[in-house]
Amino acid sequence: MPQRDALLAQTFVDIADTLVADFDVLDYLSVLTGRCVDLFDLSEAGIMLADTPGALHVAASSSERMGLLELFELQHDEGPCLECYRTGGQVACDDLAGASARWPVFAPEAMRAGFGSVFAVPLRLRDQIIGSLNLLRHQANDLAPSDLLIAQALADVATIGILQHRAADESRLLTEQLQYALNSRVVIEQAKGVVSEHTGRDMPDAFAALRSYAREHNARLVDVAEAVAARTLPAHAVVAGKPRHPPRR
Amino acid sequence: MFKIADRHHGSLGSSDHAAALLEDLQFTLGEGPCIDAYEAGRSVSVPDLDDAAAHRWPALVPALIDTGIRAVFAFPLQLGTIRLGALDLHCGQPGDLRTQQYDDARIVAEVVTHALLELQAGTATGALAPELERAETLRIEVHQASGMVAAQLGVGVGEALVRLRAHAYAEGRPVDDVARDVIARKLRIE
Repeated sequence: MPQRDALLAQTFVDIADTLVADFDVLDYLSVLTGRCVDLFDLSEAGIMLADTPGALHVAASSSERMGLLELFELQHDEGPCLECYRTGGQVACDDLAGASARWPVFAPEAMRAGFGSVFAVPLRLRDQIIGSLNLLRHQANDLAPSDLLIAQALADVATIGILQHRAADESRLLTEQLQYALNSRVVIEQAKGVVSEHTGRDMPDAFAALRSYAREHNARLVDVAEAVAARTLPAHAVVAGKPRHPPRR
Repeated sequence: MFKIADRHHGSLGSSDHAAALLEDLQFTLGEGPCIDAYEAGRSVSVPDLDDAAAHRWPALVPALIDTGIRAVFAFPLQLGTIRLGALDLHCGQPGDLRTQQYDDARIVAEVVTHALLELQAGTATGALAPELERAETLRIEVHQASGMVAAQLGVGVGEALVRLRAHAYAEGRPVDDVARDVIARKLRIE
């Protein structure tokens, strides 16, 4: 599949490009989830991180649809991500219809949201698991072993990105980086609210506007969000002149 | 250390005389681990004040060593863009926090953050416990609704969250529910 190979190669080139100065960890993770959807013919993908042992939170998602974010957040208590995080192993469910015993809350919710299969691979650093990459499909079918292998490679690359090339011998540094990523996520959610209220855009559009603005001005997504939430950057400036649904990169 | 709208309000509480001094000195000199942690939004660890890295606070460090403090650790009290201040820990001996101590301190900082926001919202002491239990799982909707209310009322996000919680408490509803109504534009907080 030369087309898929080309996209894969391009993905790694793009990722290498982003691992430089002024690194924007949340934009990076966001791009990664988008690429996963394209590469593995998925419906959605998300990255969950744990800054406190056992507490998984959404860090990035292929779509900012509220329903999807909620489905990821549900996995704080139960689900493929939590299972993956706890065991450190890959989790695969090719038919959610048979998973109600395994995930009594998550499985029905995921099916209600239209998904048929789900997979999770761990984000790991040596012997520490920091989170999980969650892959969702509308159809109930399998993910090829080669795809799972590549997904693991991308998850490993995500971990490296989060650590920003710094030597992570101390778990302290890792925890700080994870906290920073998750706190940045909260800033972005707060900024989405401000943009939505001032411009009438819905939450996914608000996120897209923040992201476009950040890229066009060579600024980090979290910095733009911080400025919008603090009202030093007007929400209208962020959405001015931008298409309603910018194409996903 | 507690700040409102960038005005340093000094200390909310100290465990002992040395701790109170640590707060007072930072307030007076305008520099220190609490201030750095607050501004950077990241924890600050100085396991040995004699270390070269500690020279970032040239006025503060000699004063601290004089009072017998040899190590300091500060944890920001924050929730996204909401910044309330920082939690300071100190030690009379040089040495780093063990991983468990560090994790515990971070959790305490999180709990204190939520407790402060609850207090500002006027909730009764008895109502704090269930909210604090769920502190780690504050929902995405609450953050989004905080942004919306901040924009609606022209206030900071911190104050918006406080008002959301106050409204939820007054109505006897979970704050997540109120947040969902705000996002669905069924509710405007006054």
